[in-house]
Amino acid sequence: MSMHLRSFRLRVALLSTTLAGSALIGFGTVSWLQIYDAKISRLDAELVNELMQISHLPDREQWQIYANSSPNALGTNTKTPTALLVLDANGTILYQFNSLPKDLDVNRLLIQHLQSVPLPPAFTREPPPPADPNPSLEQLPTVHPPIPKFVTEHTAITTWRIGAINFPNVRVAIAVSLQAVNQEMTAIRNIFFILIPGELLLVAGGAWVVSGSALRPIRQLTGVIQQVTVKGLDQRIPSRTTDIEFVELIQVFNQMLERLERSFTQASRFSADAAHELKTPLTILQGELERTLQQAELGSEAQQRLSNLLDEVRRLSSIIRKLLLLSLADAGQMSLCPVDLDLSKLLVEMLEDVDLLAPQLTVQSNIAEELRVQGDRDLLTQVLQNLFSNAIKYNLPDGWIKIHAQQTRTTVFVTITNASQDIPRGDRDRIFDRFHRGDPARTRKVEGIGLGLSLAREIARAHRGNLTLDATPSGQIAFTLTLPIRQQLMQDKFSETL
Amino acid sequence: MNILFVEDEAKIANFVRAGLKEHGFVVDYCDNGNEGYSRALDNQYDVVVLDIMVPGKDGLSVLKHLRRQGRNVPVILLTARNELDDRLEGLNLGADDYIAKPFFVEELVARIHAVVRRSGGERQNFLSVGPLTLDRITRVVTCHQQAIELTSREFNLLEYLMRSPGRVLTRTQILEHVWGYDFNPNTNVVDVCIQRIRKKIDPIDSACWIESIRGVGYRFRQPDP
Repeated sequence: MSMHLRSFRLRVALLSTTLAGSALIGFGTVSWLQIYDAKISRLDAELVNELMQISHLPDREQWQIYANSSPNALGTNTKTPTALLVLDANGTILYQFNSLPKDLDVNRLLIQHLQSVPLPPAFTREPPPPADPNPSLEQLPTVHPPIPKFVTEHTAITTWRIGAINFPNVRVAIAVSLQAVNQEMTAIRNIFFILIPGELLLVAGGAWVVSGSALRPIRQLTGVIQQVTVKGLDQRIPSRTTDIEFVELIQVFNQMLERLERSFTQASRFSADAAHELKTPLTILQGELERTLQQAELGSEAQQRLSNLLDEVRRLSSIIRKLLLLSLADAGQMSLCPVDLDLSKLLVEMLEDVDLLAPQLTVQSNIAEELRVQGDRDLLTQVLQNLFSNAIKYNLPDGWIKIHAQQTRTTVFVTITNASQDIPRGDRDRIFDRFHRGDPARTRKVEGIGLGLSLAREIARAHRGNLTLDATPSGQIAFTLTLPIRQQLMQDKFSETL
Repeated sequence: MNILFVEDEAKIANFVRAGLKEHGFVVDYCDNGNEGYSRALDNQYDVVVLDIMVPGKDGLSVLKHLRRQGRNVPVILLTARNELDDRLEGLNLGADDYIAKPFFVEELVARIHAVVRRSGGERQNFLSVGPLTLDRITRVVTCHQQAIELTSREFNLLEYLMRSPGRVLTRTQILEHVWGYDFNPNTNVVDVCIQRIRKKIDPIDSACWIESIRGVGYRFRQPDP
């Protein structure tokens, strides 16, 4: 099976790959985002925790200790940069810490975000242990839990997750670098980048193999159908060995073969019947005309007319005969009556005809002695006469004809070359077509019904030879007839000789 | 010469019988294979002309049974060509020749002479009409004992004419006999060939033995008795 782009197999593989690819990419993207979100949420939760703790720490020293240990507390590794900013209610910096001193932007960002967090209504800071065992119920509504604010910010150096919160008496902001998270996400992304193409390759390969095995019955079918030629129309494709899906196809094809066979049989039987039916009246007509012609007055007008009629009858039977030969050749049933033939002798006789028909032509011959073939005398004579008469018909005034006949170990070659006007390129391809007669203006005077070369080639092929139009220099035409040297043509059934 | 002719088509039988009789043959005719077979067994014929498609035993069966009975009488089959491989089978079964319909009676006569000659021996090799004598084996032609050189086509043409002196042969008939069934009928090859033969005979005997029949063809002049 050819692998060009219109291949069904390739299309199946490409389509499966595209579908699987978009599904995998979609799935990968969504899960990647989900993982990222989950990580950020977890970080945020921890940040809230931290903010609460810091806001409850009493003084600078405590903040310092805290800041040093915060990365651990945040569950990230110790190298994760963090920053901490604590302001009092008036915006005065109580404490500032940055584990990544290069990144100055983060301090600005922390202040900026603290300022954007809405201030809670002012109230005096309760002493740390809210240890009032019986807090008054009236006081409770006045305590609004402060709302932390989270944002992700990019600086020139890294990405920060910033959490900020305002208590009535202290304002705290923590920044944690997302470096670690981003690294993890990159790792996950890289895994996807490797896995997805790998999966796709697997899918494509799988689709290729599956579609291939799905097409295997079709290929088997093709193989069988190729065996079915005109002469093998009686063949049927066995449907037992195939998958259920193809049985119907095979049945339909077999039915088609059956119809074809029937019509071919009918056609060739019709030919045979027609031959008999047409030939009987023609024989009577010809015989009676022949007899009447003998009885007519010598040289009388009646006798001349009878002679003309006889010629017409002969022409009629010649046309019928050629048409029947062609139709039998089409059906693979050209019947040969092979005998040993001395082609050299036949050719020499025909050379004599050239001298009789066209004495003005120069004839050059190179005919090997004893060129023996096995073939139908009448039919091969017809082929050669056809070639000779063409060589005379389409010659130039005072032109020439060259006959070259040789044999190799297996084949006899007869090449007949003659001077001629060049055949137009388009006509070269159609020269063996039925009823083709070249340029109509040029050949109007030339008699014949145009079946000659087509039939001649059929006859050559029925003898397992061929008739070809050779490539020649300008100003000449050459045909070559090839025939196998005496083979076991006799032993073959006639129907197998095509 | 005695001929058995088996053919079911009455109209064909009519003109063939008439034509053969005009050539001096004695024709025994029947229209079916069974009768044809028994007559061929019972009588001595010089040639049997058998149509393949006849009622009763068909032509090929008649031929097969005759050969099985050891009868070697020459048999010519009449076929509508393309009756599949009838001809091939016929030749394998021992037919001596076949002739395809439609055919000229003159041609059938030529074929009858040819098969009789092949089976009969040398006395048939020479054909003499008037001053001309023709040896079919050596293919030598003499006129008043003077040898004439003829080409292959010229010899065949002269032989065909000399076989039926006094009968008109059309150009088409000559063409078909000498050049074959499919030769282009619109050529003057017959006339050119006749002229060449005349040129070779005339210096020896200027009596114009080959006569032109205007618009029809040629005939070999019947010598005066």
